[in-house]
Amino acid sequence: MSQSMPSVKPLLLQFQQLFALSKFVGVLPQDLTQFRTKNVLEKSRNGMFYMIGLLIIYVVLYIWLIIAFGEDDPAVKASQSTLTFVIGLFLTHIGLIMMATDQITALFNQGQLGDLYERLRVVDERLYREQCLVDNSYIAKRIRVMIIMTVIFELFILVSTYIKLVDYTQWLSLLWIVSVVPTFVNTLDKIWFAVSLYALKERFEAINSSLEDLVTEHEKHKAFLARDDDGNDTAGNQTADSSESQPPQYDANLEYLYKELGGIDIGSLRGSGSKSRNRVAPIAHSLNSFGERIPRKPHQINPNQMMNMAHESELSNATKVEEKLNNLCQVHDEICEIGKAMNGLWSYPILSLMAYGFLIFTAQLYFLYCATRSQSIPPLFRSAKDPLITVIILVYTSGKCIYLIYLSWKTSLASKRTGISLHKCGVVADDNLIYEIVNHLSLKLLNHSVDFSACGFFTLDMETLYGVSGGITSYLIILIQFNLAAQQAKEALQSFNSFNETAGLVGSATEFFNTSSTLYNLETTTMMTPSNY
Amino acid sequence: MIQIMNWLSMGIGLIPLNRQQSQSNFGLDYAMMLIMPCLYLAAYFGINLFERYGLPYLDACNSVCRLSNNLFMHLGAFLYVTITLLSLYRRKQFFVEFEAHLAEIDVYIQKCRRVAEMDKLRAQVVKHKVAYHFTWLFIFSVFVFALYYDSKHLYDTFGEYAIIPFMVSSFPYLAGSIIQGEFIYHVSVISNRFEQINSLFEKINKEARNRRAPLTIFDIESEGKKQEVKVTSGEKAAATKALFSNDPKLADEMKRQKAQLPKHDDEEELNTSEEDDDDIFDYNDAIVCENTDNTSEANLPDLFKLHDKILALSVITNGEFGPQCVPYMAACFVVTIFGIFLETKVNFMVSGKSYLLDYMTYLYVIWSLTTMIVAYIVLRLCCNTNNHSKQSAMIVHEIMQKKPAFMLSNDLFYNKMKSFTLQFLHWEGYFQFNGIGLFALDYTFIFSTVSAATSYLIVLLQFDMTSILRSEGLLT
Repeated sequence: MSQSMPSVKPLLLQFQQLFALSKFVGVLPQDLTQFRTKNVLEKSRNGMFYMIGLLIIYVVLYIWLIIAFGEDDPAVKASQSTLTFVIGLFLTHIGLIMMATDQITALFNQGQLGDLYERLRVVDERLYREQCLVDNSYIAKRIRVMIIMTVIFELFILVSTYIKLVDYTQWLSLLWIVSVVPTFVNTLDKIWFAVSLYALKERFEAINSSLEDLVTEHEKHKAFLARDDDGNDTAGNQTADSSESQPPQYDANLEYLYKELGGIDIGSLRGSGSKSRNRVAPIAHSLNSFGERIPRKPHQINPNQMMNMAHESELSNATKVEEKLNNLCQVHDEICEIGKAMNGLWSYPILSLMAYGFLIFTAQLYFLYCATRSQSIPPLFRSAKDPLITVIILVYTSGKCIYLIYLSWKTSLASKRTGISLHKCGVVADDNLIYEIVNHLSLKLLNHSVDFSACGFFTLDMETLYGVSGGITSYLIILIQFNLAAQQAKEALQSFNSFNETAGLVGSATEFFNTSSTLYNLETTTMMTPSNY
Repeated sequence: MIQIMNWLSMGIGLIPLNRQQSQSNFGLDYAMMLIMPCLYLAAYFGINLFERYGLPYLDACNSVCRLSNNLFMHLGAFLYVTITLLSLYRRKQFFVEFEAHLAEIDVYIQKCRRVAEMDKLRAQVVKHKVAYHFTWLFIFSVFVFALYYDSKHLYDTFGEYAIIPFMVSSFPYLAGSIIQGEFIYHVSVISNRFEQINSLFEKINKEARNRRAPLTIFDIESEGKKQEVKVTSGEKAAATKALFSNDPKLADEMKRQKAQLPKHDDEEELNTSEEDDDDIFDYNDAIVCENTDNTSEANLPDLFKLHDKILALSVITNGEFGPQCVPYMAACFVVTIFGIFLETKVNFMVSGKSYLLDYMTYLYVIWSLTTMIVAYIVLRLCCNTNNHSKQSAMIVHEIMQKKPAFMLSNDLFYNKMKSFTLQFLHWEGYFQFNGIGLFALDYTFIFSTVSAATSYLIVLLQFDMTSILRSEGLLT
């Protein structure tokens, strides 16, 4: 058992770079040195103040940015339609809202986040004892890839927009750099969520694969038995019989015991915060009840030893299988609970991200349309003037949302898969006792499934994505129709005005500006319409 | 019919040649799958870059015609490129794997049928064939008509170069439909296996009903006669039957079960398993239990395993073809909406004025109909398969409710069936035919699409086309 400990490395070990980065940018307030040395997330007062300070600086800078670019030229405000103006006003602030939600939730959750990973580590240890190995090394690579992708996207959007669309002769234009802050902070936060979710999915899959391994092993075992002659068969029959006649009462008691033990185990582990105590508890527990489980692993790998095979399939031994299945189900429950807790921690950020994704996607497409009709668009959405940058932004935003949705869908599917694999064990063993165990556990699993949702408003699965994509399209069509109608109304008004003007009735400076810009609009719309239809 | 479709899909490079052999010439297998996309891309980019041989570059093509043609072409490109990429990604492994799984399942089914003595029942399958052939014929005629229409008009317009615009107009939709045809074929195979399983379950169910009556009434004579007619286990005397009480030994039953399992696998001869376990029974105890003619309940574990295996197979199939459903359904949706739009707003007012415009609108309508038919068949089959798999659980529940004789003896069968139905509940939560989770492939999808289409149409129909048509000189 002692050598098993170092092999269960905490998941957070893989998060080193991500944590350093997010600490620096102000996504998480936890203590950096504690994380470096012990791989735990601990509350930190200094980190909190640092983060609040950063948040305030970001907000101030961003509002300054909005004002500075909003007052770029008052003519834009005057000439754009009310629809565009209102949408722009609302949408320029949603990035800010999203960032603030992320950071404030992170501040509130700084204690609970550490517990979450601690629980995950305990789960890993229990899984290790059941001989399901979870490989965490991919996670570090994943994190690196995600960070690199984020940086590439953000830099591309920032630089290309700055060079192409911002007037960089003024020093104030450097303020444009602030415009990437909200999305960057948000993406870092979501990388935490996505990677943790991925880790959960891995755990579920590890459970499933270990159950499937049981099945294949037993099938081999049965094939071996089938090839055996009758004498052996009756012998096996008798042994099976004897093992069957005893267990029922014994097992019923044992099940209770395990449940009690398991419950205590989880409770004690969850309650204890420090790491040293946590390490002790599982060892003691495992020595008590699962002491003989670990050494059996090595000779399972060797399928050539036919004589051993007859006794080896775990499914032929009901008591041992019951232990194993019970443990796996408890771990499954625990992972489900962790998933729910995680979803709870990130529920508001995810809701704000989804709202942001939906609105920005619609708005960017709408402004792209406006820009092709050379109507004026809000200054913070100037990236919509260039189709390529728009595409990159859309890919970036939607990629973020879709990846999260896809992962949570997959995780929830993997958790549902466990029940099926469990039943496979039952069917393949075809033993009354195992059937009873399996049925009992299966009901439990049926009630324990993780469904990720955003504050309970909608579940995070692909069907939501389908609905949202439909929503975006229909809103876009409606917006474009309104825009067309507004343009036509404006044209009519303008032609009336210009008629009046030539008659020499009205002639103020502002109105002159109005007419010239809308005359331009009129000209372009009449030019563009036939080519499109 | 399936053969024809397979040849066709090999011909236009959607599935590899020699797909069933794992070892064959790699280059030869995938040559067609590379040549066709290259040809397509050459045609597509040739038209778009050199601006020749395309409908939009003809003088007779007005703005509406140009728009609709561009939409049709780019949508087709999207459809074809995604489908081809996914097909290339799938490669041969899937087909080999599918066949292997299917063969395994068939072996099991054959065994079960032998046990259940259902070898002769074939009439049902033959009756099925009529509707099947009719559907195939109908689909073929629809496709032939669509292709004929498109190629004829293109030939009239472009002469011998018609193949180039044809590649970008009808070909992608044809390719997409053929891939859906492959999907249909695989799903129908799965559905067929489910039906066979259901018939086996149904057999057990019927037997349970038959056997229940003599047990309660203790009608010794008829039962005895029945057994004499059945030669399978003639040594059972009817008199011992009466002696049999309803509380058999639990241990004996368990022993019987245990012995049956290992035996069950290695019997390749025509012996039924039932005879074997009866032998063991006689060996152990002289009392004969009532399951002398319950030949098929021994199938239950195998059937449960089979059900599980078929579901696993459908997961694999759906994983391969589900992603290809998504672009196809999307293309079908867009083509249908624009087909209706063009038909009502353009063709209704100015039909017969412009040859090319008419051609485009009718092309939309024809392809929307064909894709809709294919999509409907896909949905219908997926829904049927789902229902079949659900039905097995229902039948098992029915058997449980009847409490047949073999269940009275011990808990094993009860637990087994309960386990099966519970597992099915898990399966229901886990799997349904779907397009990468975006939508379930059943009739609810039709409802959601129709409602979406209605709202889009309401918005689209408000576009005022009269001014545009007037400016094109089509409307006076």
